[in-house]
Amino acid sequence: MASIARQNPLLRQSCLSAFRAPWATKNVAQAVAFHASAKKQILPPLPQSIQGTMNDPAPIPESHPTEGSYHWTFERLVSASLVPLCIAPFAAGSMSPVMDAVICSAIVVHSHIGFHASITDYFPTRRVPKTHTFMNWLLRAFTLGTAVGLYEFETNDVGVTEALRRVWKA
Amino acid sequence: MAALRTTSRLFASSKPLFRPAVFARSYATVDAVSQEPNPSETPKIKTFQVYRWNPDQPTEKPKMQSYTLDLNKTGPMMLDALIRIKNEMDPTLTFRRSCREGICGSCAMNIDGVNTLACLCRIPTDTAKESRIYPLPHTYVVKDLVPDLTYFYKQYKSIKPYLQRETKTEDGLEYRQSPEERKKLDGLYECILCACCSTSCPSYWWNSEEYLGPAILLQSYRWLADSRDEKTAERKAALDNSMSVYRCHTILNCSRTCPKGLNPARAIAEIKKMMASH
Repeated sequence: MASIARQNPLLRQSCLSAFRAPWATKNVAQAVAFHASAKKQILPPLPQSIQGTMNDPAPIPESHPTEGSYHWTFERLVSASLVPLCIAPFAAGSMSPVMDAVICSAIVVHSHIGFHASITDYFPTRRVPKTHTFMNWLLRAFTLGTAVGLYEFETNDVGVTEALRRVWKA
Repeated sequence: MAALRTTSRLFASSKPLFRPAVFARSYATVDAVSQEPNPSETPKIKTFQVYRWNPDQPTEKPKMQSYTLDLNKTGPMMLDALIRIKNEMDPTLTFRRSCREGICGSCAMNIDGVNTLACLCRIPTDTAKESRIYPLPHTYVVKDLVPDLTYFYKQYKSIKPYLQRETKTEDGLEYRQSPEERKKLDGLYECILCACCSTSCPSYWWNSEEYLGPAILLQSYRWLADSRDEKTAERKAALDNSMSVYRCHTILNCSRTCPKGLNPARAIAEIKKMMASH
């Protein structure tokens, strides 16, 4: 026990605090109250918690077929294809609905992936699991809304490229 | 030669038996004897602001404590200044240091806003400005300038940083590499795991529990690129999730801050390339 406690500073701390006088816990509570004064901090870090002993490797996150390397390759392909797709209709001077559909879907997919990455970064699952799920569903709703809106715009109105051209010329 | 020895002996005997303590040179001070005595030299007083936090007084907030040193009497590096503060002014100041030549990676800290090794960082000669020394950012601090790197080392362990091989060589001797294969490891094996790059990465600040961070990924690539290692597929499979590698958004703070001049961002890019071409 003592050797484990010596290895792990956290464990050592907790072992020590168990033997300390009751005022020690009061001190800690005071410290917590004191440090909690900076309430403007967004998602302040939690107290350090290390699973297992010092000699256990950190757990490897679970892999998922739609995450990881395929996801990254797909994301890069979409991003790279957006460059010629955005130039092509204006360079060619022709407005085809098929081209418009391809651009719109590429933009929708690209922004969905981008926002999804932001959610993974800023709303970590282990820190705010509910907010993470909520934000993901919100993103899906927005993506769907955007896709439907663009579809309406393409079918019932002039379409994205034509609209851009008109704004440019206006 | 013999004559020389006698003269030197004579010279030695002419010295006083007990030299005054002024001449006893401590580790971080400039040798006063070998230095040209220059009475007109004005003292270069510089202020150092050092982050202090004592775990024995958890109710006290971390604070900056200022120390003033004469740069003429201090060695050229930040570590010299810190050691001099600890030796001569405040023995309670706590920091890690070992080799004082940038090979152990112990003295990694945030100096004037940049993560670097104190032993490789020159003290800016501009005495009008004060230097600010903090522990590595976004780490749990053990005391003063000592960060807790437990999880960093646990992550290092999780990538299995050793040669994995099932087959023996034909002659039963060592595993050989061609010069070209060995060349791939240049710029990777020099990493001393000082954690300067990982703690400078915003993505690692946000997701340090799951994202491995530039230092560990550089090491990971060091074993992926090794021609002698036979578990490349397993290593790649272990990295193939959304968190381990792909939280890298090519911010490039890692390459900018590396005190050894390595390029962790390039190693991560190579990993992503390897993963993309299954």
